[in-house]
Amino acid sequence: MRHTVEEQPPAPDSGNPPRPLIRLEGLSKVYWEGGREHVVLGDLNAEIHEGEFVALLGPSGSGKSTLLNLISGIDAPSGGRVVIDGLSLTELSERERTLFRRRHIGFVFQFFNLIPTLTVEENLLLPIELKRRLSKEDHRRASELLDAVGLCDRAQTYPDRLSGGEQQRVAVARAIAHDPRLILADEPTGNLDERTGLQVFDLLERLVRSAGKTLLVVTHSRVLAARADRILTIHDGRLEAAQHPIAS
Amino acid sequence: MSPLLLRSSRRFLTGHPGQIVLSVVGVALGVAVVVSIDLAIQSSRVAFRVSTETIAGRSTHQVLGGPGGIPDGVLTKIRLDAGYRLAAPVVEGYVSAPSLPGRPLRVLGIDPFSELPFRPYLAGGRAGVDVSTLLTVQGTALLAAETAREASVAAGDTLRVQVSGRDRAALVAGLLDAEDELSRRGIQNLLVMDISQAQALLGQRGRLSRIDLRVPGGEPGDEILERIARVLPAGTRPVETGTRSETLQDMIGAFDLNLTALSLLALIFGMFLIYNTMTFSVVQRRTLIGSLRALGVTRREVLRLVMGEALGLGVVGTAVGLMVGVALGRGLVGLVTRTINDLYFVVSVEGLSLPPEAFLKGSLLGVVATLLAALPAAREATSAPARATLTRSVVEDRARRAVPRAAALGAGLQVLGGGLLALPSRSLPLSFAALFCIILGMALLAPLATVVLVRIAGPVMSRVAGIVGTMAARGVVTALSRTAPAIAALVVAVSVTVGLGVMISSFRQTLSLWLDATLQADVYVSPPELISNRAEGRLEPTLVERFARQPGVAGVSTYRGTVFEADYGVTRLVALDLYPRGEAAFDFKEGRREEAFRRFRSGEEVLVSEPFAYRHDLGVGSTVRLPSDGGEREFPVAGVFYDYGSDRGVIMMSRTTYDRHWSDPAVTSVGLFLEQGGQSEAVIAGVRRSAEGIQDVVVRSNRALREASLEVFERTFAITAVLRLLAFIVAFIGVLSALMALQLERARELGVLRANGMTPGQVWHLVASQTGLMGLAAGMLAVPAGVALAVVMIFVVNKRSFGWTLRLEVSPEILVQALALAVAGALLAGLVPAWRMSRTPPALALREE
Repeated sequence: MRHTVEEQPPAPDSGNPPRPLIRLEGLSKVYWEGGREHVVLGDLNAEIHEGEFVALLGPSGSGKSTLLNLISGIDAPSGGRVVIDGLSLTELSERERTLFRRRHIGFVFQFFNLIPTLTVEENLLLPIELKRRLSKEDHRRASELLDAVGLCDRAQTYPDRLSGGEQQRVAVARAIAHDPRLILADEPTGNLDERTGLQVFDLLERLVRSAGKTLLVVTHSRVLAARADRILTIHDGRLEAAQHPIAS
Repeated sequence: MSPLLLRSSRRFLTGHPGQIVLSVVGVALGVAVVVSIDLAIQSSRVAFRVSTETIAGRSTHQVLGGPGGIPDGVLTKIRLDAGYRLAAPVVEGYVSAPSLPGRPLRVLGIDPFSELPFRPYLAGGRAGVDVSTLLTVQGTALLAAETAREASVAAGDTLRVQVSGRDRAALVAGLLDAEDELSRRGIQNLLVMDISQAQALLGQRGRLSRIDLRVPGGEPGDEILERIARVLPAGTRPVETGTRSETLQDMIGAFDLNLTALSLLALIFGMFLIYNTMTFSVVQRRTLIGSLRALGVTRREVLRLVMGEALGLGVVGTAVGLMVGVALGRGLVGLVTRTINDLYFVVSVEGLSLPPEAFLKGSLLGVVATLLAALPAAREATSAPARATLTRSVVEDRARRAVPRAAALGAGLQVLGGGLLALPSRSLPLSFAALFCIILGMALLAPLATVVLVRIAGPVMSRVAGIVGTMAARGVVTALSRTAPAIAALVVAVSVTVGLGVMISSFRQTLSLWLDATLQADVYVSPPELISNRAEGRLEPTLVERFARQPGVAGVSTYRGTVFEADYGVTRLVALDLYPRGEAAFDFKEGRREEAFRRFRSGEEVLVSEPFAYRHDLGVGSTVRLPSDGGEREFPVAGVFYDYGSDRGVIMMSRTTYDRHWSDPAVTSVGLFLEQGGQSEAVIAGVRRSAEGIQDVVVRSNRALREASLEVFERTFAITAVLRLLAFIVAFIGVLSALMALQLERARELGVLRANGMTPGQVWHLVASQTGLMGLAAGMLAVPAGVALAVVMIFVVNKRSFGWTLRLEVSPEILVQALALAVAGALLAGLVPAWRMSRTPPALALREE
């Protein structure tokens, strides 16, 4: 069954084995550069389950961010499909993918990408407001989230007044503010020092796990990846055997 | 639209006040120039219409005659033979009053007993004066109360006036009071007299200017008109009053259109400014927009956001533009009126009319132009995929890829423009559409030409200035999304300046050569004229003979200029008694000189000027129909001659032929030919002496008349020069903003260079080299483009507007000026960023991203 982007995908049935939230079927992405084909991702197949925390490891230029873009619908694949909870993003129009993203996906970027013209609180409210009209409840939720990330006293501050770590904490809160089912984090600690990065990662993991969300994190850090339920490694555009992080 | 998105947008704009100001200035200046020209033209038209309508009153038709007007007896024929009483005679003319310098008074001679159904404001009662005074007291007149106040006269005082250089006095019998604003403007500058006194004052004894009729509509009216037509003598005819007013206003149609087209140029330059600012604001926010897109903001929402911002800026800019337009209009209305007075008809504009349509038009133009100019930026913001918006390189890639497409489109537009010009049409709007296609085509070709020029200049700059030179050259191409619009705007601005400059100098040169050939006589004598190029006054008949008898005078050419309405609209007929040496004044476009003059002298054949032939499709062998005293007469055309005195054109007829068909012995001016070795100063002094006490005359040597004619030319082109300057200012601000934005945007890059050891001087050098190179590229493209524009304006637009053949005169001075202007403009634009960058500590610049 295909549901529209406006609908909330059906909740997982706890009685059955966990069913995949994300399914990659023969996914590929090819760019043309100077008349030559450059395969960034080739024939990727994978499944990520509801509530799962998956780390995506791989060297620079291996296609990690491209994969994230395909899963979020920001980019369209050259071949194959991305199916999220039974809904094939590949078959959606650009506008439908955007609407799907605004409803079901939360983002954490390496460079924070907060909206500089909105206050911290407004940054949190924006994804919610894109879905629907804001209510008092939403303001309360934003305050709670800011409290959870330790920034409740900075609600009316503009992002450029915050340190890098603080900005990424706001970004983490923003990613889950509109209650998405899937959170995608693209090297969320890549622009932070080790200690701050760890704090932010702790926060992200805590918030996501407590909310029962699915988290896909792109990272270079094997230490951080080890905390995931599962690690996917990508190399030269190909996913290598999924491994459980215990080995690290 | 999400309120938070709107808030974000508002905060971005208020956080960049400089950009907002530039945008608003761009729209405001463009709108202001268009609105001011519109208001100035409308004001002249309204003033003309109000005065025409006030004077026409409630008349539905007017009986008009030929050059000499209508004999008195026609009125009796209408009243008695046709049995129609609702007819009022009118004598009209212009006089000047020393107490009202620069404001001609319109003499309106009326029959007070016939006036009530036509102009009730003059027929007693409402005017607050006893009109019968006009009849009983010799030399009396009524004057508008306001005009009287300005002339410092009151009822009972004498107003001194001059008619064709003769001093006359009018006793102000009463003052006309207006009931409303419209009437106030209508009666301004009006000198109302009894008809016989007006005839005496204007030297039109026994002749009427026209007879006003008031006939009912429909069949009864048609029947009355037929009855009247039957009793009208040959050469007179009834025309609808409204049609006549339109015919008069049509005279300035081409003039209006040319000014409007020029003013639209300023708006186009304003659009460049908006385009630049909006593109810059999008480029600045590429990360922000990318983030929004990643968060789920749709393309349509981004489009609405950017277009909403543009709309806001457009509305504010337009509002400011309307206000500035009114102020500018007050300044321009004088220039426009002066030109209309110099070239077409007497109109006195007391104030600026502010018709709501002009504001509506200006508002629409401003807002639509802003939205159009912002559209590419908005599309830029939305068309890239979400993450792609995050990278600057994508913007530049797209810009580079767009270069060939833009060039192809530009070439296509040029071809389209050429095609439109090649169409066998005389439509002026079509010519301007073609001209705009060509200008826009040039703008679109500019990026490709820039890339090519920079490729050539790059290696040279490398050799001359090393790595800094290489960076400067490469920077122009790598930041093409920013540099191309700036260069395109500069190319268009400078080429238009070149085009207009070449056109004006070609016009001036043509006129100068024509004057050299035309002014064959050594001394010219005429009464003082109210309209520079429309000599219509009368010289005292005795004076002409006196002048001819002056010692040293070998011969005389006499000239009688008349203006009347015929099948050709407002028609100018000149009766010439040409001294043989004067024949050299004519340069024929069609017809052989000897043959043409033989037929001209032998009678019944006329010469027509080039604009007249062009307007009415005439040539040697065709005929012109004129209303003579003996009825409509056809006169074959013996030759078409070059003439730059009037864009309406002129018909020249030998004096003998004129006298045969019209009973009008008047002479307007004379040209005196001196004997071999004759001294013009002595003759001028003699002429002045002989006219003393009889008539005030203007006596000018050949050289003085030539200079005076060129002075009128300069005056009539003053408005064009002002518009050219305004358009350039708008374009220059656009270029300045684009280049400044470009350099300020490079703050971080320059910070890196400074951090790596580049001195402030080297930064200055880099920025100046780059902007200088852009200026050079723009200048080199603008010069040929400007000459091409001049060719189109001279050979097509001018021909279709005025019917003149002009010589193309490309002075190297204008071209060098243009190149210097482009380079200097661009260098100036680089000054502020270069100064700012060279003074910014590298650490700060690095943090600014």
